[in-house]
Formats: sequence, structure tokens, C-alpha cells
Amino acid sequence: MNDKKELPVALAAGLGIGVIAAVLVLLGNPANMGFCIACFVRDIAGSVGLHRAAPVQYIRPEIIGLVLGSLMLALVRKEWSPKGGSAPMTRFVLGFFVMIGCLMFLGCPFRMILRLAGGDGNALFGLAGFVAGILCGVFFLNKGYTLRRTYRLPTAEGTVLPAIMVALLVLLALAPSFIYFSQEGPGSKHAPLLISLAAGLIVGAIAQRTRLCMVGGIRDFVLFRETRLLLAFVAIFAAALVCNAAFGNFHPGFAGQPIAHTDGLWNALGMMLAGFGCVLLGGCPLRQLVLSGEGNADSAVTVVGLLVGAAFAHNFGLASSADGPTAAGKAAVILGLVVVTVIACLNTFKKEN
Amino acid sequence: MIGIATFFSHFGAIRFRQDCQSRGVPAKAMPVPRDLSSSCGTCVRFEGEPPARPPEEVEQIVEVTDSGYRVLYRAEG
Repeated sequence: MNDKKELPVALAAGLGIGVIAAVLVLLGNPANMGFCIACFVRDIAGSVGLHRAAPVQYIRPEIIGLVLGSLMLALVRKEWSPKGGSAPMTRFVLGFFVMIGCLMFLGCPFRMILRLAGGDGNALFGLAGFVAGILCGVFFLNKGYTLRRTYRLPTAEGTVLPAIMVALLVLLALAPSFIYFSQEGPGSKHAPLLISLAAGLIVGAIAQRTRLCMVGGIRDFVLFRETRLLLAFVAIFAAALVCNAAFGNFHPGFAGQPIAHTDGLWNALGMMLAGFGCVLLGGCPLRQLVLSGEGNADSAVTVVGLLVGAAFAHNFGLASSADGPTAAGKAAVILGLVVVTVIACLNTFKKEN
Repeated sequence: MIGIATFFSHFGAIRFRQDCQSRGVPAKAMPVPRDLSSSCGTCVRFEGEPPARPPEEVEQIVEVTDSGYRVLYRAEG
């Protein structure tokens, strides 16, 4: 793909993904949640018993598809490469707190766009915070932040997370009694398995091809005035908006939005934590899944951090609900902002240690 | 020659660009071209000779040719 073709491909990819996300809602996914990496990883955590919040337990085939779709296209394009060793535990902690921030807001950057496309004005506060967080991260990037280099790893290292995804797919298909499936609430709402899986595979492949990343879009615009990735997300928004309007799923306003709350400050601070952490990780939660599919063990560790963060969020009452954020959740977000700032400082100003 | 260098960190790219410019080599930081890599970091496109001993932040250096990229340097490991 040469430079001139990259923009139209990214725009087409964004439009396609926006349509897929809206159709998934039409087929059963929760409103404004055709895709949400944070929510879906949280649902998987619940399904395997890492938390016991009964309304949010389901093995989401979209997550499995994203990783495997990326894996398959990377193999076809000879871009699959097992690598890692770049501060894995730091990435785990960053992934953990990115999830805490997302569950304060009730959505990942991807769902933030889909919430906007559904008319949820609360996501504007999330977007403002997200941009602020990215600017914080870019500040440290320009000052010298690095988690140091990656190294080539044995093939097995790059296959672990995809293998776990296959195992999850088997568990989903067999539905043994020890796996939890929500009987009501968001976890009980889902499109048919094969359609969700296919959607994940397609979006995973598209995201691998285009390097789609919400954080990367804003980061590249700030650093280079490069708009390609950002415009891809504008295309997702536009396509989802048109489809939502056509399907009767566009309801502009702030109060009563699906799986959302109206506390603007904490919507903003949650996504600020997510944006800051994601810049330090080098990509949004969607990008971490796609990189995991390409064989990146560091991103796989980050995904595990997201999973554990989701479990903590629901075991200790940190996640928000439609009623708003919790006191414990607010404390966790503040702690997260402190921890992420410390990580940024330690890896910027003391590189020789 | 026109070359592109990719890096393990954004700051490595910024330092490389400054080094190129101090040697009188025009250089510009930008996102890594998709047809060069599936990673999404920062690269430096420069017009001139690459450094004889690339710094450790450099992942690879390629020459841009009419038929594509020709690898000049790739970090070990």
C-alpha cells in the first residue's frame, strides 16, 4: 500500500467498521456497543469467573475474532512476528489502569465514538478527557519516554494469546456449566455467535491492514499533523451515525443514554486516564488486541492487564453504572493518574536506570 | 539517496532527526509508512547518507528505491 492509497483505504475501512458496529447492535449487542474492547474484555473476565457481576458475563466472540483476524492477515502478509521484552510488567500495570479509566467512563475509545454516533452527549466529556490524556502522553514522548526496545522471541511466545482465544471460543461453543453467562443486563445482549465472530475477524483484519488506532490518530495529528488514522475514526463515526439514524437508534441527549452516566467530570477523568495510559503503551485497547494477533507478546501482556483490571473493577466496585461513578472508582482513577504519571516520569527522566 | 529509519521509541526518532540535521542532512519525522512496517511508530525520512554507526534506538534503515525498499541496516535480536 503506497502513501497515496493509505487515506482512501483507511476511510473505506472506517466506513465499513462503522456499519458493522451498527449492524451488531441491530442483531442483539447492547445499544451503542457494537464494539467495545473494554466492555467485552470485562464480559469475558466475568464469564470465566474472574468477577461475579452477574449482568456482565459473556465470552464475546468479537474479541476472539479481532485477535484471530489480525493473526490470519498478518500470516498471509508475512508480517506475523513473535516479539516482546519491552517492559512487560509496566505494560501490565498500564493496561490495568487503562481498564479502570475505561470502566469509569463505561467504554473504550472505540465505544466512545460509537456512543457519540448514537447521540450520547456524555461521550463529549470523555472525548475531551481522552484528548487531554493523549496530550499528557505526547508531552512525555517528546521528553524522551520509552519502554525500551523489543526483541525477537520464540514462536511459542507469539502464539499464546491467540491460543487462549481459540480456547475461549471452544468454551463459548460448548458452554460448560462452570462458565458464567448473564441472564439479564448487557452481558445477555449479544448478536448471534457466528455473526459476532465474523465481525471480529473482519474488523481485526481491517485494523491489522490499516493500523487503526484511536490513540494513534490523535497522537499522529498532534505530532505530525497526519490525519489518516483520525479520519478513519471520523468515518466510523459517520457510518455508525447514518446507520443508527436509519435503524432508529439515534437518540441525542445526555440523560438516560444506554449504559452511560451523566457525570461529566468523571467521564472526562476516566478517559483522560485511558488516553494517557494508551499513549504510553503505544496504542488503544483495540490496537493492543491487533498487535497481540501479530505476535506481540508485550501487547498480549497488556491485554491480560486489561482483563485483570476489569476483574478488579467489578470485584471492588470501581466500575461506574448508569447511576454514576462510585467513590471507590473515583479513588481508583486518581490513583491511576498518579501511577501512570510516575511510570511516565520513571521511563522518561531516568532512562539509564 | 533517500532513506527511512525506524526506531524502538519516538524519542529515538527525534534524536536521529536532530543528528541528521546537525550533519546537514535534511530529515523529517513522520509516521512509519504502512508498506514498510505494520508497526505504527515514528520514522525519519532523510535525504543523504545514513550514519556509519546507527545509534541503538534505530530498528532499521532502508533506502527508498524505484522498486521498493532496500534494507541497509537492521538491529540484531
